[in-house]
Order: sequence, then structure tokens, then C-alpha cells
Amino acid sequence: MMPIILFYIFAVILLLSAVMVVISRNSVHAALFLVLAFCNASGLFLIAGAEFLAILLIAIYAGAVMILFLFIVMTMQTNLVQLKEGMQHYLPVGFCIAIVLVVELIIVAINWHIDPNVAEAARQPLLQNMSNTKALGSLIYTNYIFLFQMAGLVLLVAMIGAIVLTLRKRPTNRRQVVARQHMREPNQTLEMRSVELNKGVDDLGGYLRPKETYYGIAQEDSFGPKPGDKMDITEKRQEREQSK
Amino acid sequence: MNWTLAIPEIALSISGLIILLWGAIQKKGNAFFPCAILSIAAFVAVGFLTLTVSNGVGYNGLFINDEFSRYMKILIIIAGFLSIILSIDFNGKNDTNCFEYIALIVFSTVGAMVMVSSNDLMTLYMGLELSSLALYILCAIDRKNVFSAESGVKYFVLGSVASGILLYGISMIYGFSGGMGYSTIHQIIASNHALSAGFAVGLVFVLVGLCFKISAVPFHMWTPDVYQGAPTPVTTFLSTAPKFAAFALFLRLMIGPFGHLSPQWQLLIEVIAILSIIIGSVGAIAQTNIKRMMAYSSISHMGFALVGLAAATPDGVMGTLIYLTTYLFMNVGTFAVIAAMSRKGHVVENINDLAGLGKTDPGIATAMAIFMFSMAGVPPLAGFFGKFLVFKAALGADLYSLTIIGLLASAVGAFFYLRIVKIMFFDKAVEALDQRSLSLSFVTFSMGTLTLVFMLFLSPMIQMGQIAAQSLFH
Amino acid sequence: MQAILGNYLPVLIFGVISLIIACAMLGAALFCAKQKPYAEKNSPYECGFPAFEDARQLFDVRYYLVGILFTIFDLEMVFLFPWALTLSKIGMFGFFSMLAFLVVLTVGFIYEWCKGALEWD
Repeated sequence: MMPIILFYIFAVILLLSAVMVVISRNSVHAALFLVLAFCNASGLFLIAGAEFLAILLIAIYAGAVMILFLFIVMTMQTNLVQLKEGMQHYLPVGFCIAIVLVVELIIVAINWHIDPNVAEAARQPLLQNMSNTKALGSLIYTNYIFLFQMAGLVLLVAMIGAIVLTLRKRPTNRRQVVARQHMREPNQTLEMRSVELNKGVDDLGGYLRPKETYYGIAQEDSFGPKPGDKMDITEKRQEREQSK
Repeated sequence: MNWTLAIPEIALSISGLIILLWGAIQKKGNAFFPCAILSIAAFVAVGFLTLTVSNGVGYNGLFINDEFSRYMKILIIIAGFLSIILSIDFNGKNDTNCFEYIALIVFSTVGAMVMVSSNDLMTLYMGLELSSLALYILCAIDRKNVFSAESGVKYFVLGSVASGILLYGISMIYGFSGGMGYSTIHQIIASNHALSAGFAVGLVFVLVGLCFKISAVPFHMWTPDVYQGAPTPVTTFLSTAPKFAAFALFLRLMIGPFGHLSPQWQLLIEVIAILSIIIGSVGAIAQTNIKRMMAYSSISHMGFALVGLAAATPDGVMGTLIYLTTYLFMNVGTFAVIAAMSRKGHVVENINDLAGLGKTDPGIATAMAIFMFSMAGVPPLAGFFGKFLVFKAALGADLYSLTIIGLLASAVGAFFYLRIVKIMFFDKAVEALDQRSLSLSFVTFSMGTLTLVFMLFLSPMIQMGQIAAQSLFH
Repeated sequence: MQAILGNYLPVLIFGVISLIIACAMLGAALFCAKQKPYAEKNSPYECGFPAFEDARQLFDVRYYLVGILFTIFDLEMVFLFPWALTLSKIGMFGFFSMLAFLVVLTVGFIYEWCKGALEWD
């Protein structure tokens, strides 16, 4: 009895949140309703006895995929007015297709007959005395090794695609070259000076730019002006005195 | 478990991984050219492996090797090989010369080969996804070009809808037959002849997914835009390898597991074939962009190739195989000519840009004329034999209306092919095209020669095609 | 099947309690507090002037890259769970099967690293 009540609770919330995904105006709200839908779907999976799929739905969909959704929503300029521009134009066509689909569904549903053995089969666990996850694990890596490795390749291709299509070199790159930073010696970048009493830094020649050797260590273009166009301190000082 | 069956696929994947690694750790210089050479070597090696690998079913019934899969795999490998050769020159000019390009073509080929060898609906889906996913990226790889991005996005969105539909169909078939393996489905259908509604829905959905991949009408909408926007070597690949793979699936599924239902699906295939031929031929007439024209041309070619399947006989399958072979030669050759079309370093794609090519560059114009005549189906050339064999099979299966409509539509199609010949040889010459590179000339002329002398090796081809077709019918 | 559901009963109870607490907090704020909103109160605060343009700034596409790479490795991790549970049963073959899978993704990882996709400048 309990599972049936739970089923209806989950199913109703799932359907309602799915409707909200479609009709909500704010795309971030839509994404959050999608999370709700996924959580309820995972509840349904649990009731059906598919533990692993339930966890997977939460870990992959509600976790990773939703993050991706939100990022995409935020990287895109979604202008609702622009999105709905063709709405009136396409509405009749879409409506006709929807009606055809509904009629088809009804026809199929009428002609549907469910094998009486199905209900019996569903009650049987896949493998005796074995959890869902274990049952999957004992098949995926041995019986279905071919598909498993194909899945690896598909993931690899997705990775390549994401990098090829979005990664680009920026002019403002300030990347660290960790190895070079570790290799450097103090005297390459550091100079000790003793400042006399009652005298400021200005009297020693002003603030100093990094030494020439610094540019050998830093990544190209990563630090201010090039060694060639170093600020001439004496000029600066003259300017300042004139202004006084 | 007989794991050696998939040696060609494993070898090709490993070489793809090596290309990726090698390109990634290359700090200085351009890794594109060495990677391309590496992949060409890999394609040649895998071609030989495919020829030598043994027949049989492996991986718990997921994977099958037979004469049919060998035939189709060789076609796919040749397509991948030729598109890499085309891309060497093209990418040098167009700043898309990243080594990932090569790796993606290699992985897409692996996916296509797995599709051909699938003996289970799950293998089908994984192969299809691997091959499509790499293609979506390849279409959009020319990032600075808006059309390329458009083609990538369009192909991706429509392609994922199509694979969703396919997946839905697969789940229906699984639900109603209780198995994913082709042999299981075959047995279930053979044991009870009545077709349940759910099973029919599943079958139609799978058909829709595959029709999208081969761009058969009414699932052809994406073709012109995607062909136009994608870089030319990618278009070459897109119009050959994945289509061959989807066609192989089509043949294997329809003849194998769904063979007993042939009276039910035959009419469906006939209608799709007729619509593809007509819409492809008529649509091509209005085009001014040559890549869009080739897109419509490929739609009509797919229609012709489906005629052989509509016959549902070994002869018909053999006709389809020969048709696809000739299509490979003509299509890759034509795209090599299109890849050579540039003026002062800018790519030109209008049909009118070919004007006067007969005077400025008679060699390439002659090759192009051969491809066009062959596509139109003019007798001694390759394209004629493909059309002849499929229509002969259709007549053999008493599909008279299909044959008549197909022949009439091919007359319409001849119009736009011959128009290109007319523009090349009889229109006033505009500026000459840029000097083309050696690789393009090689592809153009080798394909031209193959198209020209196809009749010399027609009988061994037919024999191979027959053996391959027989292996489907058991 | 009932046994599985029984295992998850604490999760259900946890969920229900958290739902009740969340509803109670929101509901208390809604019903018990005095609320007299008017236009001035509902307008943007702090800086005192309404936004000049769309307040939502576009995110850099690099977030997307990070997101998709996370998703991919998340999927990889999901494959590890059943493997870890059944390693004793599937033997060396299963072990090397997973190793090959990991090698493929490690190649992808090396590629990522060398391309600098993991660095945020």
C-alpha cells in the first residue's frame, strides 16, 4: 500500500514540475524545477526497485547536468521576447502536430494489451540475493565490455569536443609556469637595499620595476611593460618636481 | 569470448588515442600534418586488418563480422582515408588545422564501423552516438565561421532529437520482443507473425532515426544547411561514411530481424525512396550554392539506393551495395573539385564560379564532367551501373510504379547535373581558380579514373556484392 | 522489493522532515510576520537607483568548459561504483576492463592538461 501512495505522490509532483519547466518564464526557475523533476523521478526508480538508477539520476542529472544547464543559461543571452517571436506563426502547425500525436497515442493505447506475465515478472528480482548495483556490475564489465569501452570513447570525444569548441587563447593570459617559478633563485627577482635614515624610497630612485631576469621567468605577456619600455625614473622625478 | 573479431575497430581507436596524445604533447609547431600522415597509415593498416579478420559473432552476441560488414567497412575506411587527404590541403588554407580534427575523423570512423558490425540494438546505438558526436564537433570546427557554427548546432539539435526517437523505438522493440539482439528479435518475429501495435511503433521509430542519418525525405531538412556550413572535407566525410554505416544498419535490420515483416515495411521504404528521389532532384534545380546542390543530390542518391532495399531481395541488396560504392567515388571526387574552388585565397562556392573552367583548367573540368555525367546515370560511367542494378532488382520484385517514378525523376535530376557541365564548358570564362594542391589533384583524378573505368571491374564487384548480400539472407 | 524500500525508509523520513521544517520556516515568515509591502519598499535597495540595463551579466564560456569536464568525470565515477562492488566476482578480466576504460579517459585527461583547459589563467 505504502509504495502505491508514494508512487502517486512522486508521479504527481514529477508531472507538475515537468509542466512548470515548460511554462515558467524564468529559465533559472525552469532549471530548478527540472531538478525537482529529477529528484521525483529518482524516487519512482527507487519504488521500481532500480536503486542504482535512482542514485545515478541524482548524481548525474540533478548534479552535473543541472550545473551545465545553469551555466549555459548564464552564458547565453536569452531574450524571451525574441524567443517568442515566431510563436504565433508556428502555433497552428505545432498544434496540428500535437493533435496528430495525441490521436496516435490514443490509438496505440487502445490497441495495447499488456502481457499478463509482465506483472509477475516485475515482482521477480533480477538476480536472487543480489542488490541492483551488484547485478549491474556483474554484467557491465564482462558481458558488455564492448559497450563499456565504447562508452569510454564517447566520453573522450565529448571531452575533445568541449575543448575544441570553447577553449581559446586569450591575450590576457597570466598563466603560471610552476616549474620555472620553482627554479628561480632569490637574486633573480629580489634586490636588497638599505634605506638611509630620513630618506624615502624616492631618493634611492623610486620604486623599482622587476629586474630584467624576471621576464625570463614569467610567462610571456604576463607582466606589465616589457623590459625595453621600462619606466625612466629620472624623467618621472623631473616631472614631479616641475609640477611642484 | 572471441575478442579478435573487433581487431580493426580496436586498432583504429588506439591509433586515434595515439594521435590525440601525440598532438597534445607536441609543444611547438603544427601537429596537424604528422597526425594526418599517422591517421592515413592507420586507415591503410585497418583496411588490411578488416580484410583478414575472421567471420563470426562475438562479445556475447553484440558484434558480428560477415562478408556484408566487411564490404561496408572497406567503403567507410576508404571514405575516411580520402577525407583526411582532402583535409590536408583545405585545413592548411583555412586555419582549422588542429590535430583534434584528425582524431575526431578517426573516432567517427570507429563509430561507423561499429554500427556496421552491430548485432544488437545497444551496439547500434553506441556506434551511432560515437560517430554522430564526433561529426557534430567536426561540423562546427571552423569556429570563426558563422555558417560552420550554424551547421554544427543544427546538426547537433536535430541529430539528438533523431537519436532520442531511435532510442525510444529501441525501447519499444525491447519491451515487445524481450530482447535486444538481432537474432532474438528475429526468432520472436518468426514465431508469432501478428505484428503488435507497440512493435510497429518501435520499428517505425527506429526507421525514422536511421532515415535521419541517411537524410532520406522527410527527414532531410538538415542536409543543405549542414552541408553548406561545414568545412568541405567534413562535408565529404559526412556525405559518405556515416551514411554508409546507417545504410548498412538499414539493410541489416530490415533484412535480418525484421525480414519476416517485409510486406509491412516494403511500402514504407518505397514511399521514402520515391519522395527522396523526387525532392532531391527538384530541390537541387533551384540551388546556386554548389554544396547545397550536392546536399540535394545526395538526398536523391539515398532515394535510389533505397530502391534496392525496397525490393527486399538479395539482388536488391547487391544493387544497393554497388550503388553506394559508385556513390562514394562520384561524391568524393566532386567534393575534391569543390575543395579546389578558391580564388585569391578565398573559398568560392557558387555554381557560377565554375564558369569557363573548361578553358581555364581543362583537367579538373573534365573530371567534374565525368562525375556529373556519372551522377546523372549516363551509360558507360559508374553511376549508370548502380542505377541499373537497383532498378533491375526493383523490376524483379514487381515494383513497377517505383521503377517508373524513379526513372522519370532521374531524368529531372540529369538536368541540374548537365547544367553544371554546360556552365563549365559553354559559359564565358571568369577568373581562373587558384592553383590546386597535389593532394586535391590526386583525389580528383583517381576518383575520376575509377568512375570512368568502373565497368572494367564490374563483374568482380557484382560478385563481391552478391556474396555480401547473401551473407545477410543466411 | 519491499526490502529495498525498507532500506530507504530513513531517507524518506529525512526528506519528509526536511520538507516540513522548510515549509514551517517559510510559512512562519509568510503568515506570522507583519508584511506591509508598498512600491517603495519593493524597489531595489542598497545603491538607491534602479538597474540601468539587464542586471544579469553574461558568464564567460569557460564556466561551461569546467561544467562539461566535471560532468564527464562524474560519469566516469558512476561507472566505478558497480565495479568496486563486484570486483571480487568479475575477476581479473573485469579489473582490466575497467583499466582500459580508465586509460582511454586518462588520455583525454592528459590532452586536457596539455591544452591548458584545466587552468583558469
